Amino acid sequence: MRPAVVVLATLTLLVSYAPALRGMFEQWSNDEDVSHGFVVPIVVLWIVWRERERWRTLPIEPSLWGFAILAAGAAMQLAGALGAGLFAMSVAFLISVVGAVLCLGGFAWLRALAFPLLLTVFMLPKLALVYNQVTLPLQLLASRLAAGILTVAGIGVIREGNILEMSGHRVSVVEACNGIRYLLSLGFMAVVFAYLADTKPWMRVALLAAAVPVAILANAVRVAAAGWLPWLLSGTPHAISGWFLFVLCLVMLAVLRQLFNKAYALYLS
Amino acid sequence: MKKLSAYVLWVMSSVCLNAQPVNLGTAGNFGVLAGSTVTNTGATVVTGDLGVSPGSAVVGFPPGVVTGTIHAGDAAAAQAQIDLTNAYNNAAGRPGPTLVAADIGGTVITPGIYNATSSLGITGSVTLSGAGVYIFQIPTTLTTASNSHVILAGGATAANIFWQVGSSATLGTGSTFYGIILAQASITITTGAAFNGKALARTGAVTLDSNGVTGGGPPPPEAPAPSSLILVAIGLTFVVLYKGRARLFRQSKEN
Repeated sequence: MRPAVVVLATLTLLVSYAPALRGMFEQWSNDEDVSHGFVVPIVVLWIVWRERERWRTLPIEPSLWGFAILAAGAAMQLAGALGAGLFAMSVAFLISVVGAVLCLGGFAWLRALAFPLLLTVFMLPKLALVYNQVTLPLQLLASRLAAGILTVAGIGVIREGNILEMSGHRVSVVEACNGIRYLLSLGFMAVVFAYLADTKPWMRVALLAAAVPVAILANAVRVAAAGWLPWLLSGTPHAISGWFLFVLCLVMLAVLRQLFNKAYALYLS
Repeated sequence: MKKLSAYVLWVMSSVCLNAQPVNLGTAGNFGVLAGSTVTNTGATVVTGDLGVSPGSAVVGFPPGVVTGTIHAGDAAAAQAQIDLTNAYNNAAGRPGPTLVAADIGGTVITPGIYNATSSLGITGSVTLSGAGVYIFQIPTTLTTASNSHVILAGGATAANIFWQVGSSATLGTGSTFYGIILAQASITITTGAAFNGKALARTGAVTLDSNGVTGGGPPPPEAPAPSSLILVAIGLTFVVLYKGRARLFRQSKEN
């Protein structure tokens, strides 16, 4: 594949989807739930570069289907610009990237690039309709779990909706405490970790699935800890406790990977 | 297509018609606010500020405890009364209420605006189910029976429940009550009633007797998670270290 053609196609996509990219950039800058979006393209490009030897051996067989997918992406971009919103425009960009890969390299290239392309899903902005539906249930789930953890630990707690009341102080489990940040960040890291630490593609799906309960539980533990020790509610201790728990989540994923591998070995034998 | 249009209309109308909370202004800092006097008997605990204006009599603290500040006839209480009047008028003027029975005991109520023809009573239990704002417009009195209970379910919170009472409110002995009472005249919380909310009376007295008034004061502190950018940066560092350690381990085994 000629590098000049790839560069030209990339520039065309970037210019065509500049409003979507600008919107994504703004959301990553202003919303701490999705600020990891800055890192996703870097990791995706690094993976593409890391596997450069593999791409060189692939046959270049451009497919006309690519144009159909590019047209679908353009239609979606138009719908987004007419009112469907930033999420639609961002999906349109990713669809057009898929179309461009098909146009330039064909299905063999699309198959080979499937993993980094799927990883770009993590850089999509929030879909407000879904986010608004899940945020309150997640807040209440985190509140319920945190209250349960505190009760099991022998600490008296009264839960009223998303408010936890311990002796002498209260904690409000607001939107920013609902666990979305842990979920998205740990989901992304689970897939990247599985890619780097394991050769089996199913491990990426397994660790991604495992990341969901781990992230929800870790967030509840974080809220419970802040409820138990009020000095964890602000400043450096608050930040460090959040980071520390995230590292524990990653350790848990590493342990789970080993357990999955052992179970798989047992299954094969 | 018709179904889709109907669904879109339904979603849009449900988004637009959801009631917004009543803005309490500075009255929101008060657990108890009265127009004439606040009288307490026994070991009442009021979370937040306690105020009286235009009166200034506060009786029974101690033995009662106020976690915030007592504002007896001062400027803060006067401003809170002005804000309370605005909030009261706002709650009373919300359009499109649904009529409820004179006694809502034994019912399950979802978020929305409700009104009574005259007085409103609660006997037994009433369940407020669902996250959202509840506004009750009561032309005359609000009376809860002894040992009656307001039960919150499905994400309902005391901070989003407003009881606009045209005259006076009385909470029965041993009852449990949630919400913010905006009363034109007086509020009486009888012996041992657990009150999770704010008792805000415009002109009359607030009378307490060994109660916990827990809804006052500023909102509780939050426990937000760290930024996802920092979490992913930590994650990448972890993965790099993990890979490095694994490589070292393999090399040491080969040697």
